[in-house]
Amino acid sequence: MFFAIALRNPMIGTAIYKLGEEVGNVGQFARFAWRSAVTSMQSVAKSDTYPLIWAQMLLIGVYSVPVIMITGAFVGMTLALQAYDQLAGIGLEEHLGVLINISVVKELGPVLAAVMLAGRVGGALTAELGTMKVTEQIDAIESMGTDPVKYLVAPRMLACLLLTPALIVYADLLGIIGGWFISVIHLHINAKAYWSFSAYGVDLWDVGCGIIKGFFFGGAMAVISCYKGFNCKEGARGVGQACTEAFVMSFISILALDFVLVIIFKALYSTFWPLKSLV
Amino acid sequence: MNTEQQTTDNGQTGIKPDDGLIVLKNITKRFGNNVVLDDISLAIEKGKTTVVIGPSGCGKSVLLKHTIALMRPTSGEVYFKNKRIDNLDDQLLTGVRAHFGYLFQAGALFDSLSVAENIMFPVRQHCQITRFSAVEELVRNKLKMVGLDGLQHFFPANLSGGQRKRVALARAIALDPEVILYDEPTTGLDPIRADVINELVLKLRKELGVTSIAVTHDMKSAYKIADRIVMLHHGKIIADGDADNIRSHPDPIVQQFIKGEISLKELEQLQKTSAGSSVRLPCDIED
Repeated sequence: MFFAIALRNPMIGTAIYKLGEEVGNVGQFARFAWRSAVTSMQSVAKSDTYPLIWAQMLLIGVYSVPVIMITGAFVGMTLALQAYDQLAGIGLEEHLGVLINISVVKELGPVLAAVMLAGRVGGALTAELGTMKVTEQIDAIESMGTDPVKYLVAPRMLACLLLTPALIVYADLLGIIGGWFISVIHLHINAKAYWSFSAYGVDLWDVGCGIIKGFFFGGAMAVISCYKGFNCKEGARGVGQACTEAFVMSFISILALDFVLVIIFKALYSTFWPLKSLV
Repeated sequence: MNTEQQTTDNGQTGIKPDDGLIVLKNITKRFGNNVVLDDISLAIEKGKTTVVIGPSGCGKSVLLKHTIALMRPTSGEVYFKNKRIDNLDDQLLTGVRAHFGYLFQAGALFDSLSVAENIMFPVRQHCQITRFSAVEELVRNKLKMVGLDGLQHFFPANLSGGQRKRVALARAIALDPEVILYDEPTTGLDPIRADVINELVLKLRKELGVTSIAVTHDMKSAYKIADRIVMLHHGKIIADGDADNIRSHPDPIVQQFIKGEISLKELEQLQKTSAGSSVRLPCDIED
């Protein structure tokens, strides 16, 4: 009955077709992600792929360090300026270090560094692979009996997986330095109090959570960007559209993953340290 | 050669997997509602050059990609050396594809690699290199074959269209493949460079005994290199034979295509639309 009505109404028919297409795309993406993950794990065991991984590590990791450091520094400095007035109003300005450093290492450092990487690295990956797709270079790799996922996706995915956490450390470090610079040098908060409150409030667990998030953010960004590049439509417009979609999808995935990971980390924390989590 | 195909009761053509080195059996390929290949059967004979001709967009390149399973058919089967390949996964296809060389329409050279690295690519993927000087010698030899020795350290962006195509051909023959697939080998080249490519195709067949499938709409090239010419039209094979058979084919569509003539209907339509401006420009062009 429903299908009979749907078939007679072109708008409902188109909507059902589009929905079917989207469901198909999700399945295709899941297959691609699984294949990429398995191939990447296999690549770790094969030394012949190491030169490809080093090359991607240089492009993805090393060249991203300056922009990640700048991002981290501005996050720390801005947080210090924004929070100072509120804390000074209730006489707690010496606690500024806790607020800045916990925000930087747990949330803002990892998320903003990942978003910055999604723009810088994700966009470049999609554009590069998309151009290779439309100029038949991916077909050429396949025609020569080489798995394009192994040759193109695995090195990029491993580089993103391994180096996003490392880049988050840089973002955290510069965020902490930026916060200290504004708080102690510019706002003249007592340095000893600033650091002792920070040391009391920020655990290794907090820093670790932020860094672990990097694995998930890096993996998601790499898979999405490579998938969009591999499935990019013809022409300059197709490549441009793929880059935009890759960034938007990566951004949303980072935020969604962050939310899910926070829930998991909180649950783990309250399991291992039930009393401390109440403090 | 399998130019005559018997149709069985269930609509399947009576082509057998061992009828040729490569056999396409009842291949249909659809993109959405668009049927690009419509129940095509074709057997490619070993050591011969088969040329597939047809108007742009008729599915020639799609057909070529099916022979190496770069595209999978919506229905039908593809055989290489009597072994079905269209249902193999990519890992199993790796070994099969090492027997093929593929010259892509625009070359498809890797931008980030030099000419020498492009030619080395398939060698690195399939051979355990123990002596690098041997690979360098191989690259020099392949480049000599296509008349481009000395360009080893150039990057594709620094080459002309003809040079890119010849480097792509050198890469396609790097592993001395049994089968070479040519997608529009002469398109975009000047007549002299196009003839160089034709001579190379002939030379490879003569010296290496390779089986070739070429897709083209360049009839001069087709007549020169083909042992057999197959014409595709609206996803079906409408002509199949040697150059003489094709020249004297009774089908007007074949005749119109090989002579490169516009149809009367299209001509009438063109003449009805005047080149002058019955439709005015929506603005004045400033000096």
